[in-house]
Amino acid sequence: MQAIKDNHQWLMALAVVLAMPLLIDSGSLASEVLIYALAVLGCNLLLGFTGLLSFGQGIFFGVGSYTLGNLLVRLDLPLAAALPLTVLAGVVSAVLVGWLAIRQRNVYFALLTLAMAQMFYFLAYTMTDLTGGDNGLLGVPRPPLSILGVELLSLESPWQFYRFVALCFLVAFWLLQRVTTSVFGRTLLAIRDNEARAAAVGYDVHGLKLAVFALSGGVTALAGGLLAMMAGIAPLSSIEYHSSEMILVMTIIGGTSNLFASLLGAGFYVLSADWLSFIWPRWLLLLGVLLMLVSLYMQRGLWGVLESLWRLLRGRRGAAPDATQPEQRP
Amino acid sequence: MNVYLLQVVNGIGIGMLYFLLAVGMSIIFGLLRFVNFAHGAFYLLGAYFCYQAVEWGLDFWLALAIVPLAVGFVGWALERAVLRHVYDKAHEFHILLTVGLALIIQEGVIMVWGPIGENVAPPDVLKGVVMWGAFIYPKYRLFVILFTAVIAAGLWWLLEGTRLGSAVRAGSESTEMVSLLGLNVTQIFSLTFGLGVATAALAGVLAAPIRGAEPFMGLEALGIAFVVVVVGGMGRFSGALVGGLLIGIVQSLMSTLWPQGAQLMIYVAMGAVLLLRPHGLLGRG
Repeated sequence: MQAIKDNHQWLMALAVVLAMPLLIDSGSLASEVLIYALAVLGCNLLLGFTGLLSFGQGIFFGVGSYTLGNLLVRLDLPLAAALPLTVLAGVVSAVLVGWLAIRQRNVYFALLTLAMAQMFYFLAYTMTDLTGGDNGLLGVPRPPLSILGVELLSLESPWQFYRFVALCFLVAFWLLQRVTTSVFGRTLLAIRDNEARAAAVGYDVHGLKLAVFALSGGVTALAGGLLAMMAGIAPLSSIEYHSSEMILVMTIIGGTSNLFASLLGAGFYVLSADWLSFIWPRWLLLLGVLLMLVSLYMQRGLWGVLESLWRLLRGRRGAAPDATQPEQRP
Repeated sequence: MNVYLLQVVNGIGIGMLYFLLAVGMSIIFGLLRFVNFAHGAFYLLGAYFCYQAVEWGLDFWLALAIVPLAVGFVGWALERAVLRHVYDKAHEFHILLTVGLALIIQEGVIMVWGPIGENVAPPDVLKGVVMWGAFIYPKYRLFVILFTAVIAAGLWWLLEGTRLGSAVRAGSESTEMVSLLGLNVTQIFSLTFGLGVATAALAGVLAAPIRGAEPFMGLEALGIAFVVVVVGGMGRFSGALVGGLLIGIVQSLMSTLWPQGAQLMIYVAMGAVLLLRPHGLLGRG
């Protein structure tokens, strides 16, 4: 029982991963949900668990796309070697960006990450040899996952690819859950709730923030790499401002109080974007309205809405206080 | 004539527009502690309203006077109706709210005017070039430099020489103290927001004859405004001026030296400034 209780978030994610093939016709769409959920996990780790509002997640997403794309297209590396290197590239770029941005706090931090996102966008735009510039890096293959020449998993069909994405997602989710419940994770919550106090107690706030930023960069790069594999192209749009904005928006819409909320946010955004853009080209207008409503009336995101509904159904008012809830946000 | 000199003058012109764009965001941030992600969208509205006014046969000069007032009024009303309800929330909700607002404006513009850009002709008086010996320069761009300089002086006087200005500056230091002194802070907030939005719209009107009006110019302008305030220092009039000019001149010079990298160099310049002065050139720690 204790094992279920400790891992209930992960088990809920597992249930969603298993249920998606039954509910969604397109394997690519289902993969897209999980890929963005992965990127949102990285963003949530920063915003929900550390209080860092990063507008630069698109950097790592794009770096992931381009790195995996180049490793597969130009160097022809096996997937089992290329994926860890992609994560590493995400970590390295996050350390670089974080080293500059973490010196600032709150709004300044958000602005800096946004300005860096623009910088990386124009860098990608200028370095056409590595990125293909405006056209994107074309012809990213989907090689099978094999170790020492033994083919473990073919990724040809959309649903085969979904299985692979699901595997990556569940492993990353489980690891991040371990991280958030570890001493390191609890220290991050302390920083989020009161940075000055955490520093006064003797924690190396700067170092811890940099570490979580690097972790987030790695996860996000993995997501970017997987998207490039799925689409067969690493497009310039993956590193654009819009990409950062989208990841952040999904994070806030889902809610930042726990990791499962990230899957909710990504699923809601990707599926409704797919549906709405099909019926109305100006669907972003509705997204704008939704964003305003979320910020005015449902600040705990979709997870908060579900929680309220659940409580209403069980007829129970004040629930037990949740340790992952912020004390008070300025 | 010296190409670099011409580019520096061009850079001053662009830089003054950047200043106008960024100063509103900077003042709003200084007082309201609120990053306005819809700032670029108000610039966009300014450009399209100008296009529409000229299209209706109105005078450009009339548009120059009326459009910023109209858009500023929209900003003032939005602050009263919507924005003030999130001041007490965490800052991600300030951002989310204005990001949503920006999306609504951008998509609304596409619905009304279509996804393809429009050109706006400068007024007849300002068509053509001026010539002083070897110095040849487009009249309209020269007008923009002079006009924004006048506006900058006016804004400076408004902030430094009037009661509203001292209330805004005092409010940037401590909102609580200002309200204890018996001033109506909520009113100052909406006026400041309206003023900031009006300057963004004014930048949009002035930019329209130079670069036309197209739906995604708002996003581009938002990025520029961020860089300018980050370089110059947030919440400071002088910071926006220095930052705007610096970025304008860097961009303009680089577009001769290395055209593909002109945009990139803006951000590299920003990175360099931040390494040396984390709070911007004129920012306080």
